[in-house]
Amino acid sequence: MLRIGIDVGGTFTDVTALDTADGRFHIHKLPSTTEDQSVAVAEGVRAILRRTGAAPGDVGYLGHGTTVATNTVLESDGARTALVTTAGLRDVLEIGRQQRPDLYDLDADKAPGLVPRSLVHTVAERMTAQGTALVPLSEEDADAVVDRLRTADPEAVAVCFLHSYRDDAHEREVVERLRAALPEAYVCASADVAPVFREFERFSTAVVNAYVGPRINRYMSRLAERIKATGVPVRPKVIGSSGGMMSLESVARYPVSTLLSGPSAGVVAASHVAGQAGFGNLITFDMGGTSTDVCLVRDGQALVSTQRRINGRPVRTPSLDIHTVGAGGGSIARVDPGGALEVGPASAGSQPGPAAYGRGGDQPTVTDANVLRGRLNPQYFLGGALAVDHEAAGRAVDRVAEAMAAGREMAARGIGRIASVNMAGAVRKVSVEAGEDPRGYVLVAFGGAGPLHAVEVAREVGMSTVVVPPNPGTLCALGLLVTDIRAEFARAVLAQADERNAEKLDEVLREAHDSARGWLAAEAPPGAETRVTGEARMRYARQNFELSVPLPERVIDTARFGSGAVAEMVASFHEQHTKSYGYAHADARVQIVEIQLTAAAVVDKPDLPSVEAGSDPDEALVGRREVDFDETGPLDTPVYERAGLRAGTELPGPAIVEQLDTTTVITPDATALVDAYGNLIIEVEQR
Amino acid sequence: MRNQTHTPDPITVQVIGASLVTIAEEMGAVLRRASYSTNIKERSDCSTALFDAQGKLVAQAENMPIHMGSMTGLIDALRASELSVRPGDVFLTNDPYRGGGTHLPDLTMVKPVYVRGEAEGPDGEGDGELVGYSANIAHHSDIGGRVPGSNAGDSDSLFQEGLRIPLVRFATADGVEQAPLAFVELNSRLPHERRGDMLAQLASVEVGERQLREVHRRYGTKTVHAATAHLLDHSAKRLAAALHEVPDGTYRFSDLMDPAPDDGAATGADSGSGTRIEVAVTVDGDRVALDFAGTGPQAPVGINVVRPALEATVYYALKAVLDPGIPPNGGFFDAVGITAPEGSIVNPREPAPVTARTDTCQRVADVVLGALAAALPDRVPAASHSTVTYVTFSGEHEDGFFVYPEVVAGGGGARTTKDGMDAVQVHITNSSNLPIEALEQEYPLLVDTYELIPDSGGAGTHRGGLGVRRDVRVLGDGAEFSAHADRQATRPWGLSGGLDGSPGRFVVNPGRDGERQLPGGRLSGVRLRRGDVLRVESPGSGGFGEPAARDPEQVREDLRNERITARAAHDLYGLGRASDPGRQ
Repeated sequence: MLRIGIDVGGTFTDVTALDTADGRFHIHKLPSTTEDQSVAVAEGVRAILRRTGAAPGDVGYLGHGTTVATNTVLESDGARTALVTTAGLRDVLEIGRQQRPDLYDLDADKAPGLVPRSLVHTVAERMTAQGTALVPLSEEDADAVVDRLRTADPEAVAVCFLHSYRDDAHEREVVERLRAALPEAYVCASADVAPVFREFERFSTAVVNAYVGPRINRYMSRLAERIKATGVPVRPKVIGSSGGMMSLESVARYPVSTLLSGPSAGVVAASHVAGQAGFGNLITFDMGGTSTDVCLVRDGQALVSTQRRINGRPVRTPSLDIHTVGAGGGSIARVDPGGALEVGPASAGSQPGPAAYGRGGDQPTVTDANVLRGRLNPQYFLGGALAVDHEAAGRAVDRVAEAMAAGREMAARGIGRIASVNMAGAVRKVSVEAGEDPRGYVLVAFGGAGPLHAVEVAREVGMSTVVVPPNPGTLCALGLLVTDIRAEFARAVLAQADERNAEKLDEVLREAHDSARGWLAAEAPPGAETRVTGEARMRYARQNFELSVPLPERVIDTARFGSGAVAEMVASFHEQHTKSYGYAHADARVQIVEIQLTAAAVVDKPDLPSVEAGSDPDEALVGRREVDFDETGPLDTPVYERAGLRAGTELPGPAIVEQLDTTTVITPDATALVDAYGNLIIEVEQR
Repeated sequence: MRNQTHTPDPITVQVIGASLVTIAEEMGAVLRRASYSTNIKERSDCSTALFDAQGKLVAQAENMPIHMGSMTGLIDALRASELSVRPGDVFLTNDPYRGGGTHLPDLTMVKPVYVRGEAEGPDGEGDGELVGYSANIAHHSDIGGRVPGSNAGDSDSLFQEGLRIPLVRFATADGVEQAPLAFVELNSRLPHERRGDMLAQLASVEVGERQLREVHRRYGTKTVHAATAHLLDHSAKRLAAALHEVPDGTYRFSDLMDPAPDDGAATGADSGSGTRIEVAVTVDGDRVALDFAGTGPQAPVGINVVRPALEATVYYALKAVLDPGIPPNGGFFDAVGITAPEGSIVNPREPAPVTARTDTCQRVADVVLGALAAALPDRVPAASHSTVTYVTFSGEHEDGFFVYPEVVAGGGGARTTKDGMDAVQVHITNSSNLPIEALEQEYPLLVDTYELIPDSGGAGTHRGGLGVRRDVRVLGDGAEFSAHADRQATRPWGLSGGLDGSPGRFVVNPGRDGERQLPGGRLSGVRLRRGDVLRVESPGSGGFGEPAARDPEQVREDLRNERITARAAHDLYGLGRASDPGRQ
C-alpha cells in the first residue's frame, strides 16, 4: 500500500509517499498552482505514482495540508458574509475588546470587520447566563431577517446569539429557516462552531468560519474530483490547526479549523522525527521566505492554544500554539533614521523576491546577505533550479552598507546577526510564556531557511542542541503521514466544581461523549485503534482565565463523573495552578468552565528509514568556499553534500551541508553528528 | 568574556539592545504568570524596565503608555535616599510624590544589579560594581483607602486614596523582609492578592537582575556600558531626525476639562467652565520643550497629574506623532524639556489626590497633539474621545457585595488620510472590556444594548470614529453607580474644517418615565432600583477636513451601514441635494 502526504506551500507543493511494503519513502517537489492548489496536488499524486511505479489503486491513504483558509483571510478574499445576532448587540464584532492594535502608531487600524454593518441583522431574543429564554425568539423578526437576506443574497451567514453556548435553540431555529430559504448559502451557528463562552471570541470564530466556508468547500470538491480522476480510490483527509486529520465532511462543517493546516503538519513531523532521535522536549523552528513559525513541544506533545488570532481576529478553535514572527529569507533590511539596522517585518516575498533571485528585486534581504557571506551556494538556488545573481545581491546590500557607513561585508554580517536575534526573541518568547527554560529543549530546524540560521539562534538563546531532519524542506508532507485522525468536542459548562453539580456535569459530558463516539464510528478507518481523552478547563471563581486539567480515565470510560472524580480534578487544578503560577488558593471556589473530549483514531507511525553507517566525511565533501561567520569573519570552509553523509559521521565546524531543499550552516564553535536516521545533531558550544 | 573591545561595533550595540528589550519582556511574562490578580494577570496593567547605573531607562516593556518612563522617579528616589544599599536588596514604594508611579495602586519595585569585575572573580570579596537596576510597576486592585479598589475619583486628598508606602527595603540577599509585606497586607481589603502580587513583582525583578548579569558576563561590563550609551544616543538621534521635519517655532494649544458638578455646569449648560489645560510646544533644532504655563490650578478631586504621569503622557504624544518607532529610553526623555507651574493640575502639591489622573492625562495628550497639528497639519489626527469612561456598578449579590468596574471606549480621532476608528481606547490607556457573557454570570446585571452611536463621530472629509452606547439593566436591589469620565461638557474637536464629535453622557432609564441625565461625569453613590437602566454613552471623535469634500461614495457607504443618519448625510454632507456630485 502507498500512503501519500501532500503539503501545499506558497511556492512549492511537496509530496511524500511511504510504501508500506518495503518501508521506503519517496519525495517529490513541484511548483504550487496558486490559482487552484488542487491542480498541483493531483499532478503531485500522478508524479509520485510514476516514480514509484504503483497503481492508483495501491494508494490507501492521502493526507493533505492546505493554506486555502489562511490565504482567504489574509487576502480578504472570502465570502460576502451576513451576521444575524441578538437585538441590541449589533456591534459586538465592531467593538471587539475595544483595544487598538498598536500603542503608538496613530495610523494602525483594528482589523476591519468581515461583515459590513449593513449585513448585520438583529432578532429580538434573549437567553440569560443561566440558559433561560428571557425573551423568546421573535417569529416576526426571524421572518423579516430571512426576507431581507433573501434579497441581499449573501454567500454565507453566521448566526450568533448571546449565551448560545448555554442553550442554542434560538440559533438552531434561525439556522434552519435560513438554510431552507437560502439553499445556496453557507450557514453556521456560533454554538456549533465554538460552543464556548465570551461572545466576541465566539462570534468572531463563527464569522471567520462563514467567511472562509464557501471558498474552502469549492476547493475541497474540486480536490476530491481531481483526486478521483487520478484513479486513487481514497478520499483525501486534511490536517487541521490542532494537528489532527479531518475528513472532508468535517472540513466542510468547520473550515475555520484548517487555518493552521500547513504549519501544524510541520510541528507534528518535527515531533515525530525528534522523538525517534530521542528528544521529547523541543522547539520547532520553521523558517521560510516571509516568516518563521516556532512552537514548543513538551514530552512529545505540542502546546495547544484556544486564544489564536488571524489577522487580528480571534479564532477560538483549538490550534497548536504556533508563534509566528515576520522574519524570513525575504525579510528586507533597512537603516532607521537613528542609524540602526533593522531587518523585517517588510518582506520581498517570492515576487520579486530577494535581489539574488535576479527577478528585479533591489531591496537587501536576509537571503542576499547569506549569498554574500558564502552561506548559500554562490551559483544556484534549489539545486540548480534558479541561478544566483551575485551582483544584484551585492548592490542591494550596498544600500544599507552606505547608510551604515560600513563595508559590504560588515553590512551582510549585520543583517544575518539582527535576523538571528529577532528569531531568538521568538524562541525565548514561546518558552518563557510556557514557563519553560529553553536550555532544556532542542531546536528542530526545518523550512527552506531554518537550518541556515538555527545554530546561531540556538546559541543566542542558550540552547545547546540543534536537530536538522534529513528532508527539512518537505517535512510538512511527512507530518501528514504520521498524524492521527482527530477531532475535539468542547462544551461549555460554567458550574462550580462540586459533587452537587454532578448531574449537570454528567449531562454535558454524556452529550460530548456521544458526539465523540458517533464521530469515531463515522470517521475511524476499520480496525484502527481509537481513543478518547478529555480535559476540563478550570479556574478560580471570578478569575478570567482557565487552566486545563485532564479528566480521569474512568470518567471518560463511563461517561459520568461518579464519586470522587470532581474532588480529584479540583486537587489536580490546584496542583496545576501551583506548577504554572507558583501558588494555589486551597480554600477558593473552583469552577469548571468547559470540558473538551478529544477523539482520535491512531495512525500507524512508520519507522523512519535509517542511513548507512560510515565515518569519513570526505566521501560527502563536494568543495570548499569562503564562508563568513559572526565571530571569526571569513573562513575557508568545507562544503558537504547531505545525501553523501553516513550515520556516525562527525562534522566539526566550520562546515556547510548542502541539499536540494536547504543549506545547513555549522559554525566554527559547533559540531554536527549524523545519527542513525540521517538527522544532523549539532552540538553548540555555549559562551 | 570573549569580546574585550570597549567600543562595540554598531551591530553588537543592537544585539545587546535587543537582549535588554527581551529581558524586559521576559520580566513582564514572569510578573503576569506569577501574579494573583486579574488586573495584572489578564489586563496586563503592569510594566517592566531596566536602567543603567546612572538611572537612565535603557529598555522597557510597557503595556500601557501611562507607564512609559514612570519608574525613572523610583531610581532617582533610591539614588537620593539615605538607605544603605547592598547587593541582593530590593526596594518598594507607591508614593506618587516620591518616585512611586502615578497613583497609589501602582506599586513599584526595584533591584540594583551588581557585577563583580575580573579582578574580584565571580566569587570574590566585595560588592562588585553597580551596573544597573531591574524594576517594575504593577497596578494592585486594592491598596486601602476609603473605597474598595482604591480608585474613587472624588477623594479630596491623597490620604483618602489609600496606603502611602515610602521607599522601603522589601527584601535582602537573605529573603523577603516580613515587616513591609505584613504592613501592606494588613492595609488592603484583599491581603492574599497583595502578597501574591508583591511576590510576583519580586520574582520579576530577580529575573531581570539575573539576565542583566548574564549579558554583562557575556559581553563584558565595559562593552555593555558603551553599548548602552549608544542605545540612548540612538533614541536621541531618532527624535532629532523626526524633529528636523518640524519647523522651528512655538506652537500653543489649550482645552478644558469638564467642570465639577458644583461649578454649576451640571449638564453642559452655559455656566462655569472646567480647568484649562494649556501647552506651548517649542521646537528648536534637535530639542523640544513643553511649557504648561496657563494651565489651571490643582483640583480638589483626584484628577491631578503628578510628574511621572505628565512625563509619560508627553512622551506618548511625541512618540506617536513624531516617530512611533523611537525606542523609549533615557536618551529620548533627556531631549524633551517639560515645565509645569507648581500647584497646577499638572504639577500638584501634595497631598492633592491623584487616582483618577487618566482623564487629565488624556486632555494633556489632546493639547500636545493639538499644538503639533499646527506644525504638522498633514500628520496629526483630530481629537479622540480622550477620556477614560470608567464606570462602577456595585450592590448586593447572593454571595455578598459585588463591584463591577468597566471602562467604555469611544471614537478615535479622524486621521489626515482616513476615518477615525470606532469604539477604541486611545492615548495613555488600552484596557479591554469585560465580555457580556462573563459579567452576566457574575453580577445581577443585564446588558440590553452595546452598540455604536450613529452620527457621534464628527463629520469631515475623514469622519471621526463613533462612540459607544451601553445600557446596563439592574436586576437586584440596592445597587449603586459611580463613575469618572470627561468630555461630557466639551466636545472632541475637529481639525482643518472637520466637525467636533459628540460628548458623552450618563442617562438613567432612557426612553422611559423618569428619564434623567446625570450631572456630569464624576459621580459616586447614584442609587439604582431593581429594573432601572443606566445608559453609558462615550464620546465620538473629531472629524478631519471639510465634510463637503468627503467622497460621496463613502457618505453613501456610511449611510448604508448606518454609521450616519439620512439627516446627517443630507445636512452635513449634502447627499441628496441638487449639488450632490454623486447624484445620478
